[in-house]
Formats: sequence, C-alpha cells, structure tokens
Amino acid sequence: MRAPNTLTQPPAVGSVGVSEADTLVRVDNLVKHFEIRGGLLGVSNIGAVKAVDGVSFSVKRGEALGLVGESGCGKTTLGKVILRLLPATSGRVVMDGQVLFDIPAKGEKPQRQALYASKEAMKKVRQNMQVVFQDPYASLNPRMSVGELVGEGPLVHGMKDKKEREALVRDMLNRVGLNQSHIHRYPHEFSGGQRQRIGIARALALHPDFIVCDEPVSALDVSIQSQVLNLLNDLQVELGLTYLFIAHNLAVVEHISDRVGVMYLGKMVELANVDDIYANPRHPYTVALLSAVPEPDPHRRKKRIILKGDIPSPANPPSGCRFHTRCWLREQLGRPERCEAEEPELRDLGGGQQAACHFTEEISATAVGNAVSSSAPVPSSAT
Amino acid sequence: MASTETIRPGEASPAGATDFDEVDLVSVQTYWQLVRRRFMRNRTAVFGLVLLSILVFSAIFFPFIGGDAWHLTDLTRGPTDPISITAPLGYDNLGINIFFRLMKGLQTSLIIGFFAVLIIAGIGTAFGSISGYVGGKVDNLMMRIVDVVLSLPGFFLILMLVAFIGSVVSPMVVIIVAIGITGWTTAARLVRAEFLRLRESDFVQAARALGASDSRIIIRHMVPSAMAPVLVAATLGIADAVVTEAALSFLGYGIKPPDASLGNMLTGAQDYFYRQPLWIYYPGITLILVVLAASFLGDGLRDALDPRQKLEA
Amino acid sequence: MTQARGQQDALLEVADLRTHFATADGLVKAVDGVSLRIRPRKTLGVVGESGCGKSITALSIMRLIERPGRIVAGSIKFDGQELTTLPDDEMRNIRGNQISMIFQEPMTSLNPVFTCGDQIAEAVAEHSNIPKKAAWDRAVEMLGQVGIPDAKRRAGEHPHQLSGGMRQRVMIAMALSTDPELLVADEPTTALDVTIQAQILELMKALREKNGMAIMLITHDLGVVAEMSDDVAVMYAGKIVEASDAVTVFDHPHHPYTRGLLASIPRMGHRQERLEVIKGVVPNPLNLPSGCLFKRRCPYAMPICDNQPPLREITPGHVSRCWIAPDGGRPELGEAPTAAEAESAAQTLTVVNP
Repeated sequence: MRAPNTLTQPPAVGSVGVSEADTLVRVDNLVKHFEIRGGLLGVSNIGAVKAVDGVSFSVKRGEALGLVGESGCGKTTLGKVILRLLPATSGRVVMDGQVLFDIPAKGEKPQRQALYASKEAMKKVRQNMQVVFQDPYASLNPRMSVGELVGEGPLVHGMKDKKEREALVRDMLNRVGLNQSHIHRYPHEFSGGQRQRIGIARALALHPDFIVCDEPVSALDVSIQSQVLNLLNDLQVELGLTYLFIAHNLAVVEHISDRVGVMYLGKMVELANVDDIYANPRHPYTVALLSAVPEPDPHRRKKRIILKGDIPSPANPPSGCRFHTRCWLREQLGRPERCEAEEPELRDLGGGQQAACHFTEEISATAVGNAVSSSAPVPSSAT
Repeated sequence: MASTETIRPGEASPAGATDFDEVDLVSVQTYWQLVRRRFMRNRTAVFGLVLLSILVFSAIFFPFIGGDAWHLTDLTRGPTDPISITAPLGYDNLGINIFFRLMKGLQTSLIIGFFAVLIIAGIGTAFGSISGYVGGKVDNLMMRIVDVVLSLPGFFLILMLVAFIGSVVSPMVVIIVAIGITGWTTAARLVRAEFLRLRESDFVQAARALGASDSRIIIRHMVPSAMAPVLVAATLGIADAVVTEAALSFLGYGIKPPDASLGNMLTGAQDYFYRQPLWIYYPGITLILVVLAASFLGDGLRDALDPRQKLEA
Repeated sequence: MTQARGQQDALLEVADLRTHFATADGLVKAVDGVSLRIRPRKTLGVVGESGCGKSITALSIMRLIERPGRIVAGSIKFDGQELTTLPDDEMRNIRGNQISMIFQEPMTSLNPVFTCGDQIAEAVAEHSNIPKKAAWDRAVEMLGQVGIPDAKRRAGEHPHQLSGGMRQRVMIAMALSTDPELLVADEPTTALDVTIQAQILELMKALREKNGMAIMLITHDLGVVAEMSDDVAVMYAGKIVEASDAVTVFDHPHHPYTRGLLASIPRMGHRQERLEVIKGVVPNPLNLPSGCLFKRRCPYAMPICDNQPPLREITPGHVSRCWIAPDGGRPELGEAPTAAEAESAAQTLTVVNP
C-alpha cells in the first residue's frame, strides 16, 4: 500500500492536479444509462436507469483509488464501463495514453463522431488492465481447471507453448499463496478465499499495471477477508500495481486506498486523500455514511446521523443535488432552494479534496453535532 | 490480565498449524465426477439409464441375430403354436415371429427418435445460441419466429407432410424430418435463455476482460454450459418422437407394413383385440418402457448436470 | 454485572444443544454442544463466520429445523418451559407469540401475493382472538411504529413494491405485532446498505427499550455486535468458544479465535500497513479435527490441544473453550499432558451453565 512506484516520480504532496505523466487511467464525464424497454414489442424506450451520470476522475500510477457508495450508486457499473465490459453511453476513458473510447454526449456541440479503440488495440490494452470480481463462485468457469483458468489470459494473448504457460501458472499460484499442486483441480474444490486467490492469479497472469477490484472481499468470511486484503497489498508493493478498489465497506476501503471517491446515485460527491476524507469529510453524504458505520468497540457506541428515507431510484433521481431529499445539512440550513434547483459541481476545496455540495463550508463540528441529536430514534416514545 | 508469562503466538509449537493449504480442500472431484455421483445417487435416473441401455441393446442385437425373421411368413405356424426359446412371444396369424418383429419395430422407433432429436438439438442449438448471443432486435425477431412455429398444430403438420410426400420419399425419413423441423422450438428457447444468462455471467465477463475473442467465449465458455439443458431436452425429446411415430403409424400415415414399427404393430393388433389381447400389450408395453426410460434418464440428467446443485441427501 | 450473570434469571437458557444433519456425505454436526443464556430485556450477540452454526442454533430455538436435521440432544428452556419436548401445537403458539424471528432476506420471508398489511394482520389474528378489522388496525399501527411513512397506504402494498429497508421494517413490524418477549434476529441488516442498516439498528434499539424485549442478534459483523449487544457469544465450528458481556469480550478476549477475529478486521481511523490474519480456513464440517477445532489455525497450538478443551470460566461470567490459563499464560496442566490427565482436567474445569 502506498508504495511509491519506482518507475514514476512520487506525486507532489497534496496536489489534485495530476500531471499527465502520472496518470494511468483518466475518466472524463462518463455516462452509462441502462434503457428501460417496454411497449408492445419491448423495443420502445420508456426511460433509463442513470447508473453512472457524468463522472470524471483519474487514477495515478501506483496508487489505490477507492470507490465507495451504497447499492445503486453506480460504482460497479463504473468499473465495468471503464473496462469496456459494458458499452458507455457517453464520455471518454484513456488508459496509459490509449483512448479506449470517446463518445460525445447527446446534443454536444459541435457534433463529432464517437471514437473507439480498434479490436487489436483493445486486446493489447486488456493485457494491461484486469479485473477481480466480487463473487469468486460465479467468476470462475466451473468446467475449467485452475491451470486452464489462470493460463487462459496468456493463451489468448499468444503464449501457445504449453510448458511455458504451465510454468507461468505455477509462478502465479505461488504468488497468490496457493499450492502449485492444485493446478489440475477445479474451482468448486476450493473455499471462497482460495477461489478469490485463483481469480487474482488469473488477473495477474497477464502482468497488468491496472486492476479493477470489484468488491473483492465482500463475499468472504471475516477471517478470510484480511488474508486477501494483505495479499492485494503485497502484490501492489511487489508489482507496482495500480488499483481501482470498489467496495461498500468503508473500513476496508480506508485500509487499502490512497485516495477515496464517494459515489451517490451515479455521481461522484466527494474525492480526496484517504486521511482527509475520513478525518474531515466535506460532503454531508460522506459525513452521514461515516457516521453510520458501527464500530467493533462497545465503548464507542456513538450517536449517529440517521438519514431519512430510502436511497431514491436511479431511474428517477431527484432534481438539483441528488442527495437533497435525505440531506441533514439542507434541513439545518432551512432548505435552501439552491439544493433542489442547481446541480452542484465537484469543487476543489484545496489540499486535494473535492466535494460536490453548494454548502460544504457550512459543515462543522457543531452542525454535525446538531444533526446527530436531531436523529431521534423512530418511535419517539422511547425511554 | 496478561501476566509476565503470557504465552506468545507461535512459541509453543508451530507444528500444530502447518499445512493449512491441504486441509482447505473441500473435495477432490472434478465436475464430471460430481455429475456422475449425483446421477448414480438418483435411483430412478439409474433405472432409466439401465432400461434404455437394455432397450437399445435389444433393438440392435435381436434384429441382427434374427435376420429376416421379423417379416418372414411361415404358414405352417400360427397363434396356436406353443411359445419356445426361438419365439418367446409366439407367432402371429401369418406365422411371423412376434418377438423379432417387436424388436425390429423397437429398432425403427428408436432410430426415428434418435435422429429426430438430433435434428431438434442441432437446429435448436444453432438458432438459440445466435438469438441469445446477438440479442436485441435480432433476438426479438427470432423469438417471434419460434412463436409462429409453436403456434402451428405440430401433429397435423407432420401428418400433412407424411401424407403428401410420404409416398415419394421413405416414410421413415419424412417422419424424422417432420418431427425435427416442428420440434426444435423448446431446445432453441432453452439455449437462448442459457446464452442470455451466460452472456452477463461473471465468468464470461472475466473471459472478455482477459481479451478472449467472441468465438473462444462462445465455444469454450458458453456452449459447454448451455449444452446441459439441450441434452436434457433431447433425452426427453426421444420419448416425444417415439410416441409421435407410434401415433402416425397407428393412424396409418407412418411406417406401413410389411415394415415394422411399434405404432403399426399396435394397429395390426387391434383387429385381434378379443382373440389375442396379448398382441396389443407387447408393442404397448414396449412403447411405455421407452417413454419411461427416456423420461427418467432426462430428469436424472437435469438434476445431475446442474452445477449449482449441491450434494444433498 | 459480570458476577451477577450467574444468578440472574434467564429468559432463555440453552444447555448443551446438539443439532445434527444426516446428509448423504456424512453426519454434519452443525450445532454441537451450545450453551447460552439470554437475560430478560438484554441483547445477546451471537457472532461467527458462515457455517459456524449460529443460524442453526436460532432455528433450533424456534424448533424450525427440518429434515435431514434434528435436535439430537440438549435442552432449551424459555421462561422455565422446556421447548425441545413441547408438542408441535404448543410450540406454534410460543413461536410468533412469545418468540419471534426475523431473517436476513426479508423478500423471501414475505409472501409476494399478499399485502404487507394482510400478512401482519394475519400474524396478529393467529395469536389473539380479535376481529379482522382490529387486526388490520393493529397492522397499520405496527407499520407506523417501525417508521414506515404513510403506513395506511403502505399496508395495502405488496412486498415487491417496497425497498429492502422497508421490507425489513415490515418483517420487524410483523415480528413485533404480537409483543414477543424474545426477538431472534438472524443477520437482520446484512443485506442492507450502511445508512439503511443504521436506521434499522436504531429502530431495533428503540423498540427494545419500549417493548422491554430481549434480542438474540445473530451476525458476522463485529461492529453490529459491539453496537447492540449486552452479552456476546462467539461461535466456531458448531461450538461456543467464548462468551461474556460485550465489554469483556471486546476488551479482554481470551480465546485465540476471538483475539484473531478482533485483530483481523480493518477499523476505521486505525490504518495499519498489514492486517493480522487468521491463517487457513474454517474446517470442513464433514472432516473436523480431533481435540480443539481451532488448533490447525491457532498460533498458540500445542500438544495439549489434541484434547478437546473444556468451556471453562476465565473470570466470573466469562467463559472460553481453550486450554490457555485464565491469565493468558501456559495451561495449568503443562503443554503436553497425557490424554487421561487432560480428560479429567476437562471434566473439572467445564462449566455446565455458563
């Protein structure tokens, strides 16, 4: 973790402005809408789930960028769109200088053609960016042996020699802490944690620079999670990997990430260095999210900010700031109209911290304290 | 509470905690071993397999050793002749050895069943996989074609085909083709559903992320997973095809005497229903056995092939 | 309260419960000698990883174990009444009336074809002789109590029209509609998002105070346990390995498994370079090691661990299933006693009723 990659210069302390040389992955104004089809023949559009709705950020070489948010915030979709496992609606992703796609937004002026990396270029890029999935049961083909699974990447990228491939597979199994003799076994013979190791070996076999980890430990038992987290950490240090680490568990993200982005309903609401965001969150949603996490310490039963209501549907997100329907800060400020009317931009707050809130300056210890005390438990008749 | 002599991790005996890599293994079976184990544990399925094997063996072996016995008339013999080892079911009124004729009929029925199902599986897999993989509008159109074929009254279509061209081409071929081209819709739907599911599955996405080509993804990852339901549908389809053939022949549109089939043996036997009631039971029971065997086997395969199913009592 | 624990009346007292499953692959001892007690109006958190038997323990208490599972031994006393031998109809009366249960996935426990109001009203009507209209009114009242806005309208909606958090509220409303003395909650917030989880936990706390009920909270999340529980029991491979009040378990864990668990989870605000790990995996229930079930993963393992350790008292009210001495030092017996010595020591050390 936080291993300075020897190939690149360490980023300037506290800088948001990432110079192009440091940037491995750049995401610009990415949009992914899932059309909801309906009508008699099921071909007419009757709406869209706005899973990702205009997200921009970049990942520096050698860092781990954490992405947190609750279900429906679009974090998993975002990862898949970046990997081109799902077609984007619009936006641009650049990986190590290679444009993966550049699709103009609807009604963008002047009009221009959508740009896609060619099939050959894409195949080359795929060697360099890999993915580790959440569910180690579903992401491994049950009909392939460990050797075939881990060796598949090298095979499709031209390593035809069987001996050479087997040597590579054995090396990879070794690296992820699996016994080499398991090479002929099948995924169902392994426990969840071991399968996740196979999934990691599979991604590593192509020697990528960039790995999208999509909830890699959330399906695992508590005692196994730390094993896999340590492995991911060690591999990052050893191999100088860059991670996009997607998870809903805030403690896990804090542990592994250098910077953290918080998503809510398809938008990035806050992005900052990990210590800043956990110590000094600048978006009311981040504040509430951190406050909601129960800590494994009976002495610290804290009062929390209880957000009202449910997460709205991404098919029909609220106007203006998407968080305004549940925002505690807006309540305190007497429901300013601006929250409903105007969508806040991700603003630079200095020190590498960005937040998308019109009133981020109003967040203070007193404000948070008031929010906590006004979060009375639901039946007010409690003792 | 920790005193000075607090025990430290690993100091006592590290030997107690080695080799955890070995104890982790859940089991040591391959996918097919598991399938076999699940299958063998299912008694009806094993019964179906054994029964179908006996039937297939009989349909090959007895016509082979019997030679022409299945259609040779011998007017010196008749229904009153006692049964014997060479004629365990006796002779009919033309002096034909009923057992060998029954075995020949069984052979005809099984051949029709097998090849019809082959056509069904072939068309169904091709149609369903294209529909499911391409998706979108193509899928929509192809599925409407399936709806149209499904809405046709299949049996009467087959009846018509056999009636019109059955006299030109060998009726057996016509029946096979007729059953094949009307019966593929279920297989197509199954394969399509499987492909739609697999297309979004994590392991197909993982293969795509590795840079695997479309053809590799389809052949290596999707088809093997999609074949299980086709195999099941095909096995169950044998029963359907055999019954359809019997019905056609019974109505006089299928295999006609002197050729033997279970269907036309039933037709022939109904004239002697009161004098020789057993004659209707021989082809009838054989037909039931084929249908039962295929159904039991098909159901057993479905349970055994499901990779998500756990081993339970 | 640590020393008072033994004397207090227990609402629920489970002693040496064994629930086994005769599967085709062999006998799975899902629950194998579990003893625990739940004090009136208090919350017992039962923690453990998947397969440790915590859910089966709960289902055994509810007498909802189905074939091939069976309660083979032990006693479950609720309010002084033995549940394991109770006739089915009397058990049905207790279940849902005095003991209610909520599950992890509310969607599968709600009937999709009936409205939420109907389902709660039915639960109410089943256990009390009140007219239909009154039962419906009670349902609406309960939905309001669990914080469902516009309860009257929501009562007429079907489960699929509600979000996950709302469904869990409906489940809680249904469970509480009969005013039970004990609520068994099996991973009630695991399927929910963290801000929704906070709402549900807050709700459960408030209702606990208001209704004066006890809760058996089953979860794998140590954060949720610390937040909610008065007492904590840690389970591993079908057995209780440690139990005490929450503060003791979190501050002075004795069993190496509890220590390992607490050390291995990443905590907010305490960034470390590396996490502590518990090596290996949970043993296969069909192939359990002899002696201590944790010995193959235990950093303290020693020869004595080949003998089944007793569940013994560490301090009053604090029990642990480990040979290590109460002060954390070497076992009193030495590290490699004979099997007979270990056996007799286990006999004398074992506490029957923790």
